[in-house]
Amino acid sequence: MVLCDFATSMGSSSGSSSSSSSKPLPSPQQQDIDGLLAGAGYKVRSSELLQVAQRLERLENAMGNSPADFSQLATDAIHYNPSDLGSWVDSLLSEFVQPSTCPSEVIMDPVPNQAVVSNAWTTAEPQNPQVHQNICYEQQSLNNQLTVVTATEEDSGIRLVHMLMTCADCVQRGDLSLATSLIDDMKGLLTRVNTVCGIGKVAGHFIDALSGRIYQGIGGGSVNGGSVLENEILYHHFYEACPYLKFAHFTANQAILEAFEGHDCVHVVDFNLMHGLQWPALIQALALRPDGPPLLRLTGIGPPSPDGRDSLREIGLRLAELARSVNIRFFFRGVAASRLEDVKPWMLRVNPKEAVAVNSIMQLHRLLGSEPTRNYPIETVLSWIRSLNPKIMTVVEQEANHNQPLFLDRFTEALYYYSTMFDSLEACTVQPEKALAEIYIQREIANVVSCEGSARVERHEPLAKWRTRLSAAGFKPLHLGSNAFKQASMLLTLFSAEGYSVEENEGCLTLGWHSRPLIAASAWHAVPDASAEFPAWDNQQSS
Amino acid sequence: MMQFTESPSQPSHQITSFSIPTMNKNQIHRARPWLGFPTSKGLGSFGDANCMEQLLVHCANAIESNDATLTQQILWVLNNIAPPDGDSNQRLTGAFLRALIVRAAKSGTCKMLAAMANARCNLSIDFHTFSVIELASFVDLTPWHRFGFTAANAAILEAVEGYSVVHIVDLSLTHCMQIPTLIDAIANRLEGPPLVKLTVAGGVTEDIPPLLDLTYEELGSKLVNFARSRNIMLEFRVVPSSYADGFTSLIEQLRVQHLVYAESGEALVINCHMMLHYIPEETLSPLPNPNSNPYSFEPSSIQSLRTMFLKALRGLDPTVVVLVDEDADLTSNNLVCRLRSAFNYLWIPYDTVDTFLPQGSKQRQWYEADICWKIENVIAHEGLQRVERLEPKSRWVQRMRSANFRGISFGEDAVSEVKTMLDEHAAGWGLKKEEDDLVLTWKGHNVVFATAWMPV
Repeated sequence: MVLCDFATSMGSSSGSSSSSSSKPLPSPQQQDIDGLLAGAGYKVRSSELLQVAQRLERLENAMGNSPADFSQLATDAIHYNPSDLGSWVDSLLSEFVQPSTCPSEVIMDPVPNQAVVSNAWTTAEPQNPQVHQNICYEQQSLNNQLTVVTATEEDSGIRLVHMLMTCADCVQRGDLSLATSLIDDMKGLLTRVNTVCGIGKVAGHFIDALSGRIYQGIGGGSVNGGSVLENEILYHHFYEACPYLKFAHFTANQAILEAFEGHDCVHVVDFNLMHGLQWPALIQALALRPDGPPLLRLTGIGPPSPDGRDSLREIGLRLAELARSVNIRFFFRGVAASRLEDVKPWMLRVNPKEAVAVNSIMQLHRLLGSEPTRNYPIETVLSWIRSLNPKIMTVVEQEANHNQPLFLDRFTEALYYYSTMFDSLEACTVQPEKALAEIYIQREIANVVSCEGSARVERHEPLAKWRTRLSAAGFKPLHLGSNAFKQASMLLTLFSAEGYSVEENEGCLTLGWHSRPLIAASAWHAVPDASAEFPAWDNQQSS
Repeated sequence: MMQFTESPSQPSHQITSFSIPTMNKNQIHRARPWLGFPTSKGLGSFGDANCMEQLLVHCANAIESNDATLTQQILWVLNNIAPPDGDSNQRLTGAFLRALIVRAAKSGTCKMLAAMANARCNLSIDFHTFSVIELASFVDLTPWHRFGFTAANAAILEAVEGYSVVHIVDLSLTHCMQIPTLIDAIANRLEGPPLVKLTVAGGVTEDIPPLLDLTYEELGSKLVNFARSRNIMLEFRVVPSSYADGFTSLIEQLRVQHLVYAESGEALVINCHMMLHYIPEETLSPLPNPNSNPYSFEPSSIQSLRTMFLKALRGLDPTVVVLVDEDADLTSNNLVCRLRSAFNYLWIPYDTVDTFLPQGSKQRQWYEADICWKIENVIAHEGLQRVERLEPKSRWVQRMRSANFRGISFGEDAVSEVKTMLDEHAAGWGLKKEEDDLVLTWKGHNVVFATAWMPV
């Protein structure tokens, strides 16, 4: 149920302790009538739930404020079509004299309401009323103004974090009204915080994402609706601005290069070709490897390009030119698919005699879902990967737990994760790479925070979970050797700002910022299927 | 023969190694060259060395243009295709890779020590400090130095015939390793062995391999004893002097000597063995002239130390000057030019080493460490720190002529002595006679030249 909870503020006995709203928002599939209310006999469109809730709240307010009128309602009012809850509430509201300012009305100018708000939501933010005091303090003490500002900034920063968490908690509980007023407070607080860097910058993005979640109601699919071309551009700048993707490429390439040793026919399947940035280096290394070059096939998967261009083919052609210039036999195949789960193994045309490398840079998490029991595309995809019998599967994923069941947990994790990532981005000074990289990260944040269901694709899980999942799917880990570690360390030390650290984690490598790992690279190969030789149903053989 | 899953149309854009077709006019990322080789080379038989040189060139360009991403990519490739225990091309490439990393580590915001610690190969070179006996046998392993020794000694002997006092000034990288043979020859050949004076410049190559574990005083006394055993009176003197200032103090000393001994029939022999290329030349002029072509040999208005040194030598009126050095041009101020020159010369020592030192032997490590040092100096250093400023024979000949010297031809005896010496080594070594000069070759490529001069 998505009714607003005013128990604490009004002290009334409406007693709608609807803490069952651990499910923050209804699923996007229900485009029309809200199922739960329908069960109670009310017809409310899912898209209007928020408005209805707000109006109910106002009604309660009004009832509480003028109990005398209320009793009149009970006797004289004509109620039209109570199953149409929205207009029924409206009709009731119109009977009352509306207060000129309403604390729950989010459209109004937030500033004059702040004092009102802070009185109303006593439990929400006890420090709120002091915001005004700090302003006065600033104006008074000009001498040590700088330190005061800094202290205030720091305070504001910490306050922002608290408010963000509180807001997220409200969202999780379904207290959207409180959430929206917190948003306003936070936006106000943002003006007193440096938004160019630090907590102010990342807080701004999280505030936006929370807003997006609240106001878009369902799905929020349009939040992450960048075009294919936009996404490619942002990706490329993210690649340039910070070392995460480069680290992913070097490490995966090193593992693939080593796995291909001794093989004359090799096939790389790239789950997200983009501009093929990963491959020139591998092509050259294979072409010049001490034992002589293999025959190299590359299958690149990517979204279909709009406006008739065949970007996969273009990339393939450029890679082929490069391959030709270094004298390595090279074949390219592009597979256009909007989603990875739409790809079928036969499209990849894998030859049983060739050594196959499956390369997934931040793609597998998109196949996950919310509930542990349902069958999500990850199972299917992992299973057909296994059927390809790859010599190696390189997996690089964000090292974060952004797929937890509870929204607040996800939110908290994301806040810390992306703060760290933004911190690391401060070291980059090149524009426009930095600005566009920030937008790239911001889109991830928006997806993690404000999307749900199939629209929420950034379902990052940490290495430990992937280990379990991949082992269960029949893969065994391959240790990334010391070469990979040394290369990553050296290259990062030479060319990245201080603060990045490469660490080894049981055969996997992570790249992080100041001891917080942010991205993890691992390698796997398929376990030979023992049951294929001894069918499970033939029990007679075992006895 | 390339095949495509879809038949490709002729690419509408020219893909050279330095252009990248932008996919869309909205893209604002700057164009980056993909690591490739000019397609004009086509499908011809690519030596692996060629590819490696190209990659090194690309890397140098990337470093010079501060392109961290491209540098990283190429370094990654190079790290994988140049194992330290590979064939000679791979080890050569590995040495250049090492030098490029050192260079990259010097620019930018990285920590050198941390980079070294993490590097695949140990970035600090382990130098061996030779004892006299070790060094003597070390330089005998290959004609690289023996060639110059043999040719020079022959020219010197011829020039000093009849003199009762022979004053040898030995400016040599090999710490007087040429001298014992010369003394022997003097003792054997000349009637009435002369008094031999030997002057060396002390403290010159303390940082430049090969390193000697003796002081020059100690070395001198050993040489004196050796000479005595051959019935030769040897006077040994060390003059502290450095190439960095064109051996000014040494020249001063010699000038004084010249004034005193010029009349008494003393033969003055200046023996330069791979030392003069350390003296700064025009590309390191104190007042850089932005318009000067680094390749043109026009002495700038401020003369280089190298020119001044040769002039000063001429002023000493020596009986003979022998100039032996490596035949390569490593003076360009342009990193890529220098890299190409160095790569196309220093493949030679890596190629030869298989013929006289087994893989894994300590001596081989020492030998390759010395080459590594040279490569690092040429690639990773600039300014005064970059001391390996080799010039080709043609340039030196021009310099000597400008300094009023004329060339002395090497006689038949000299040639046959060198040939005999070469027979003791692998078949790839050869000898060329170019006008007055002798050139040591490996598989037909010029390695070391030997020239002899007297005042005009």
